[in-house]
Amino acid sequence: MSARYGMVIDLDRCTGCGACMVACSTENNVPSLPQATARTGITPILVRKVSNGMDGGARREAFVPILCMHCEHDTPCVKVCPQQAVEVDKATGIVMQMPQRCLGCRYCMTACPYHARYFNWWDPAWPSGMEKSLNPGVASRMRGVVEKCNLCHARLHSAQEKAAASKKREIDMADYVPACVEACPTGAIRFGNLADKNDPVTQDAHSPNAFRFLARLGTEPKIYYKSKEAWVRALAEPSSGRDSEVNHG
Amino acid sequence: MKVTRRDLLVWSAGAAAGLIVTPVPWKLLDDTSIWSQNWAWIPQPVRGPVEVKQSACTLCPQGCAIKVRTSAGYPVGVSGVSSHPVSLGALCPLAYGAHQLNWHPQRLRSVRHGATPSSWSEARKAFAKACGEGRIVVIDGYPGRAASSVLRTFAQKRNGDYRVVFASDARSLVPYEDWSGVPASALGYDLENAQTVISFGAPLLDGWGAPGRFTRLWAERAAGMTDPQLRLIQAESSLSRTAARAWQWVPLHDGSEAALATGLARVLLEEHLVSAQGPMPPLTLAQAADQTELTSDAIRDLARTLVARPPVVAIANDENPSIAALNVVLGATGARGGIVRRSKHSDVNVSADAVIQNARAVLIDSTVPWDFVPHTDAEIFRFAAWDGGSSKAEWLLPAPGFLEDQTDVPPAPTSAIETYAVAPALVKAPADVQSSAQFLASIDSSLPSSDSIIHSRCEDLFRARAGTLCGQETMPLAKIASVQKFEEQLSKGDVWVAEALHSESLRCVLKEWPTPTGPSPLEDWTTSWRAPVLPPLATKLYRESSLRKPPERRNA
Repeated sequence: MSARYGMVIDLDRCTGCGACMVACSTENNVPSLPQATARTGITPILVRKVSNGMDGGARREAFVPILCMHCEHDTPCVKVCPQQAVEVDKATGIVMQMPQRCLGCRYCMTACPYHARYFNWWDPAWPSGMEKSLNPGVASRMRGVVEKCNLCHARLHSAQEKAAASKKREIDMADYVPACVEACPTGAIRFGNLADKNDPVTQDAHSPNAFRFLARLGTEPKIYYKSKEAWVRALAEPSSGRDSEVNHG
Repeated sequence: MKVTRRDLLVWSAGAAAGLIVTPVPWKLLDDTSIWSQNWAWIPQPVRGPVEVKQSACTLCPQGCAIKVRTSAGYPVGVSGVSSHPVSLGALCPLAYGAHQLNWHPQRLRSVRHGATPSSWSEARKAFAKACGEGRIVVIDGYPGRAASSVLRTFAQKRNGDYRVVFASDARSLVPYEDWSGVPASALGYDLENAQTVISFGAPLLDGWGAPGRFTRLWAERAAGMTDPQLRLIQAESSLSRTAARAWQWVPLHDGSEAALATGLARVLLEEHLVSAQGPMPPLTLAQAADQTELTSDAIRDLARTLVARPPVVAIANDENPSIAALNVVLGATGARGGIVRRSKHSDVNVSADAVIQNARAVLIDSTVPWDFVPHTDAEIFRFAAWDGGSSKAEWLLPAPGFLEDQTDVPPAPTSAIETYAVAPALVKAPADVQSSAQFLASIDSSLPSSDSIIHSRCEDLFRARAGTLCGQETMPLAKIASVQKFEEQLSKGDVWVAEALHSESLRCVLKEWPTPTGPSPLEDWTTSWRAPVLPPLATKLYRESSLRKPPERRNA
């Protein structure tokens, strides 16, 4: 049975601590380069601060982790890639990026409605000796290619190896937990198989307060969000006439 | 057919022109590009056997339990341990990159005297000479460890002073020490049983106490709920992360936290909303309203809201006696869901002053925050694993880095339960580093070693046969066969948890309303971080995103 891995991110629980960002970078051997800035750094999961646009005591803020939404249908980055370096894995639903095929044209970055793709501007580098601290399950990637969240694919491989070793066809979901999900101190990010109707994450994805960003584009993203705050849910369609302010800075 | 020179030229030109429309040059260009993107010197991960070991993070006094994944013997990842009774599997953002700290470019690897390289023997000679010439002051940033006991013993034997630089969350418990006679190191907040928490600027969801403790409580009992089981009220001048997520945010004038606490206490006493009796606060409600820029009605409503769902506890960001006095009025001291005594025996620690007079030498342990720079004429011997620059220390002595030294882990400063753990050394330290306890033991051979103190502490706990051992499974200590087995379990990452004391074991007497103190700067993960450097990946939090302001005096 094919899986559809996805997430539900409870924005009412996110405190914007950033643990997911650091844990993701550690897991995926993303370097911290002195020349990298907010425009040029690689942050496969990026927590943005948003507000309701009010001032004083009426002001409310929330934090929104943005990552590749793993669009299921008419995936924009797949459609524009001239190199077939991006594809939707039919077995998992994960939108895969293959750096070896990528020629760095960045069409996919332009096409992505969520700005969840990053260009790798520089050769990866770490201070002397620090390369010993790199995750052996993930190769350090070359410059000149586009990077994005792959739902910690190395962890999926480990879970599949474990399942294969015990002669099972399906992985145990407890063995496959992306780094950001594991690191979230409030349990705001939850991960599961959306193809499994009994998975609590699937049920959460269909709760009344759940929503997806830019759902009107019809790309069927597999990253769901939820919030009880109406002004937060209104962020899902930023060009549909809402009166709130999105503060990226 | 005769081939002329012209034919050859025409053929060559045609071939050259035709080559452009073949895949050859583009393939060459692509291959050259890929080849240049994969230089042999581009770092690749070291392959080797992968293991997962448990330890504790000792980069701040919270002592969160960690799982460390190692490959070929090197730590390659850190994650939390959900069975830990205080940290509950959560860690601060910085801990996820902490395993890279030992290779930080600012890592101290040799002794420095001023700007020149020196040696341990020179440092020993200079410190021993200073000890013989006058008073010494030993400063610790993580009290309660076996190493702290070595530092304290050394200072006492030399008629010197042992002083402590407290974390801001631990400082908030200091006022109760005077009113109850119980050392602040034996007190904690029973947040697990509180139903209303009013925070006066304390970053409860952003770096206060053990990261997992309150955030998990809040996430389970409050996040997104209209009428939560745990009401978090944040009184703070700006919309901080905690204020943004709180059940109620009280925006007050900057620095008027003490005035609000005093105003609330006055309403509680005047309207008999609490059973406790106490001295009437000197500030009238109108004065409190004036200072806080809130209305009198707003303060009155807030006081009623506080007592609507007990138990209630007030948490200060610092050593603010007015907020501590509010807790006494609320009846939160020595009560379930308030401030409780967690241990029977604890050392009384004296806070280190920024100005140190009449001392010949000051020894600063590596656990003291780099920002603590004493104003003194004494010779400063500063231990540190990383050089944060401009420390004003005459001697800079390289200390073990992250997970390079075995240490024991006393309870987290604000925890309501007493715990004991051991963080084993998982990484081999560089050749030329020493902890301050090892340094002092090399000067005074009669001092016990940290390892022997850890052993005797384990023996004491084992003999008492009380409490439980929390690990993959929870087991009463009485069921552990021997002290060796107990130590073995602790070195594998298990945590000993004491039985809870009766809340009545703490009684606070407030004779007069305390004088308010000035506000302290607000802290978060990065400012409460003790090391002078941050893990390199912390730049993701501020330079490669706009999530946080760049930290001051910290280099990633």
